[in-house]
Amino acid sequence: MSQAAGGSGPGPSGPGPLGPPSQESLGARFQAQRGWWSRFGDSALGVVVKLAALAAFIALALAMIVRMVSLGAPMWAPALTGLATLGIVWVYLGRGKLPLKYLVPGLAFLVLFQLFPFGYTIYIAFTNYSIANNLSYEQSIERGIAESMQTPEDAPEFSVTPMIEPDDLEQGEIALWMVDEEDDEEFLGTADGLQPAEEVDPVVEDGEVVEAEGFERASLGDAQDRLEDFEELRIPLDPDDEETGEVRLVTLSRASVSEPTRQFDEERDALVQIDLDTGEEEAVYPADHDRGFFIDPDTGQRIAGVPGWRTWIGADNWVRAFTSETIRGPFLQVLVWTYIFAGASTLLTFALGLGLAITFNESRIKGRKLWRALLIIPYALPTFLTALIWRGMMNRSFGVLNDILPGQIPWLVDPTWAQFSVILVNLWFGFPYMFLITFGALQSIPADLYEAAKVDGAGPVGRLRRITLPLLLVTTAPVLLATFAFNFNNFNAIFLVTGGNPPISGAATPVGHTDILISYTYRIAFGAGGGDYGLASVVALVTFAMVAIISVFAFRYIRPLEEVYQ
Amino acid sequence: MSAVLRAFALLVALLLLVAACEAEEDPDEVAEEPEPEEPEEEEEPEEEEPEEEEEPDEEEPEEIVREEADLVIWADDTRTPALEPFAEDFGDEEGVEVAVQEVPFDEIDERVIDSAPAGEGPDIFIGAHDWLGRLVDAGVVTSIDVSGIEDELVDVSVEAFTFDGAQYGLPYATENTGLIRNTELVPDAPETWDEVVEVGTQLQDDGEVELPLVLPTEPADPYHNYPFVTAYDGYVFGQEEDGTYDPTDLGIDSEGTIAAGEAMQGWIEDDFISADVSYDLMIDQFSSADAAFALTGPWALPDFDDADVEYEVDPFPEIEGGTPQPFVGVQGFMVSAFAESELLAETFLVDYMATQEAQLEMFDADPRPPAMESAFEEVADDPNIEGFGEAGIEGQPMPAIPEMDSVWEAWTDGYELIYEGEDPEEAFGTAAEQIRELIGE
Repeated sequence: MSQAAGGSGPGPSGPGPLGPPSQESLGARFQAQRGWWSRFGDSALGVVVKLAALAAFIALALAMIVRMVSLGAPMWAPALTGLATLGIVWVYLGRGKLPLKYLVPGLAFLVLFQLFPFGYTIYIAFTNYSIANNLSYEQSIERGIAESMQTPEDAPEFSVTPMIEPDDLEQGEIALWMVDEEDDEEFLGTADGLQPAEEVDPVVEDGEVVEAEGFERASLGDAQDRLEDFEELRIPLDPDDEETGEVRLVTLSRASVSEPTRQFDEERDALVQIDLDTGEEEAVYPADHDRGFFIDPDTGQRIAGVPGWRTWIGADNWVRAFTSETIRGPFLQVLVWTYIFAGASTLLTFALGLGLAITFNESRIKGRKLWRALLIIPYALPTFLTALIWRGMMNRSFGVLNDILPGQIPWLVDPTWAQFSVILVNLWFGFPYMFLITFGALQSIPADLYEAAKVDGAGPVGRLRRITLPLLLVTTAPVLLATFAFNFNNFNAIFLVTGGNPPISGAATPVGHTDILISYTYRIAFGAGGGDYGLASVVALVTFAMVAIISVFAFRYIRPLEEVYQ
Repeated sequence: MSAVLRAFALLVALLLLVAACEAEEDPDEVAEEPEPEEPEEEEEPEEEEPEEEEEPDEEEPEEIVREEADLVIWADDTRTPALEPFAEDFGDEEGVEVAVQEVPFDEIDERVIDSAPAGEGPDIFIGAHDWLGRLVDAGVVTSIDVSGIEDELVDVSVEAFTFDGAQYGLPYATENTGLIRNTELVPDAPETWDEVVEVGTQLQDDGEVELPLVLPTEPADPYHNYPFVTAYDGYVFGQEEDGTYDPTDLGIDSEGTIAAGEAMQGWIEDDFISADVSYDLMIDQFSSADAAFALTGPWALPDFDDADVEYEVDPFPEIEGGTPQPFVGVQGFMVSAFAESELLAETFLVDYMATQEAQLEMFDADPRPPAMESAFEEVADDPNIEGFGEAGIEGQPMPAIPEMDSVWEAWTDGYELIYEGEDPEEAFGTAAEQIRELIGE
């Protein structure tokens, strides 16, 4: 305390607003703590900790850059990471720049978890990214060649044993002991070719060749360490005649002749189909960078067996989203239902939450604390569990609800009932939150206002309308808005309870009566048609724009409310 | 991607640590007096650091990231334990690190498509042959050479893993649905479908069972319904002479498929089946002898065994003269196109998994008939395996063409509407139009 009395200068945030007296003791405690904290910072240990943390940071960043490069990321990615790292180190290394030191972590999170995904979604929306266009251009070429491996019909097959020069396991030459079981012949195979067993005097132990020509049978562990070399080992059947082909390992115990029938021609930017027997070109498949496929010029279609790559396709996805009958058809219906679902969910949870809050705010009720705790339960249980339980309870034939209630209510199978049911379940999920919020807000309404109203002759309804609601909305309007936006995108409530079902009869594309925009987006991206991420990004962005516009208008609307209060 | 994000999160956490140490050093104040600012607050982010890293996998399914090992295998929960001993043996013998990672079965394909090109996928993964179209399209699976062991595998399983003329995986088990009968309620296998209906309805009228037959209908399940479709001469895609499927010949609105829809609608009206049976309810109903028959596959048997219900597996009896043909699926191991070492992956599959011992071990974990002939013979005297085997003889391999992806959802919706009373011709007509539109796009 005495240190605090020493009169510290104002922090960088400037003198704060004068708080109520009770906060002064808190401030004093803070100041007392600054003492040990700052002494720690200045101590040798503090500097060491700081430098160690920075060093660890740099090391991690370097490790990431190395990994990026090794994964073949485009050069700007490691460069950007490096620059960002340098910038961050600069911020933290020197003295001063204190505000920045506090802002940087927050900014980093903002960039990583808000701006990056958003920017990436926008980028995807302009590409053809989908299951068929999943790879990069380079990966596409690589796969196209790798999958064209062919083994000539009468080519020999060998069961093999890896061999290594024993005196230099890491760098020495490697070879294979090869047994052609069909012709009962054995060879030593190296990059120079095959040598028949008779020429190399193999040493045989227990029926297995263990040594030949300075090579020794490699233990599997040793072979493992040279895995890449063995993978790349090519043994020409006849070094003088290239057309006989090369032997390569299929597994660590088998080898055969196989060669790619496709090659990439950089000049023509095309895959070339080669006849292995004659070495002549059979066909040329040029790359179509607008579509992300290698094209067969005869048919104009992509060639089979070569995966496509991601490429920039401009506004195609946007045009499709707004013109394609399969998407546009049900879009309006889904949109209307999304508004109804989000609006009803928000209003009903608010009404129920507020009703309960007012009830339990009443001091006449006994055991209020217990009731309040019980009310939080739906909020505390994991959604995906309770949603499935609700789904089971609402089963028409076997559900507990229809066991209790008379008649067979089609909770989840009739369009209107299903819409009612998801709103009901969502009400169960959402009201405890609203209860918590409104209960807190109620406490801040001065009790004397109610007394004055009572004196003026206002009944309970009058007090609710004229005092509680206006004052409550000041604090809860932003929460209501956030709840609306949340429910607008409340994928879980729909997906887990109804899965969007029941289906809309006669729709242009599979879609259900309870599908909201986000679950509809999911169907486009992962359901029928299988994985069109570009198109799904467009729908996601449109959804985002709608929520954003609503939010802006709503904030305009609630601002006057706040002014009233002030 | 998530590995990168995780690293980023760690970076940021480290920054916060630096900030915490740094703050009190700020010069403006330090010069004059030893008490600058910022107490407690920064300790909090510091504490967050470990949280950020330890995020448990169960909570956040997004977090499945390739483990650090020379050979990484992705398998589902039932088969991971069976694979682990072989992975360990292989690792010990070959001096490499092998990791078996558990991934929910129905997520494996999507996850491989997503993560393999980024180098974060597995080397080997378990999958169903009907994923092939999609996986090949996405370029994430590589063909492997099984010519050395081809003769030891059941023909249909090798064919199923052949796509566009290339062999894409090592098949290890086949599966199809069959008719499972409660032997206490129905001692003798019915010879015709009429008998099934008769016996079942009698039991229902006597109050012995709630439902004569259970099969998953909520949500509707075209896979389980397929035997009915084929019994009425319906089909999904037309087949060429050599058995390959023709994507231009869609049979969802064919006469036979519609007739099957009409039949099912009639059974629902007669309370012979119910439109409200989920997979779990089917297990419950049959296990508690509240249903006389169940239409499902070998994957349900462990649950029935646990419940101590007496049952037998029968091939499907003829329905109005038509032979029900279930879809036959083949399970197998596939090698990622972006495997760190294809050589290692293929060595493991061909030398370790394509053995009778491994196939039997996998069979114990998950009773689907093995694809290796010698292993199949070993277990063939098991009456359940025999029953499913007989039911599958007439079966059709599930189409692996990518166009099949466009079928499931629309077809499911068609059934949903039929169950609720819509005219089957209209419901399947709409479904067929939706599918043609999707394939055309």
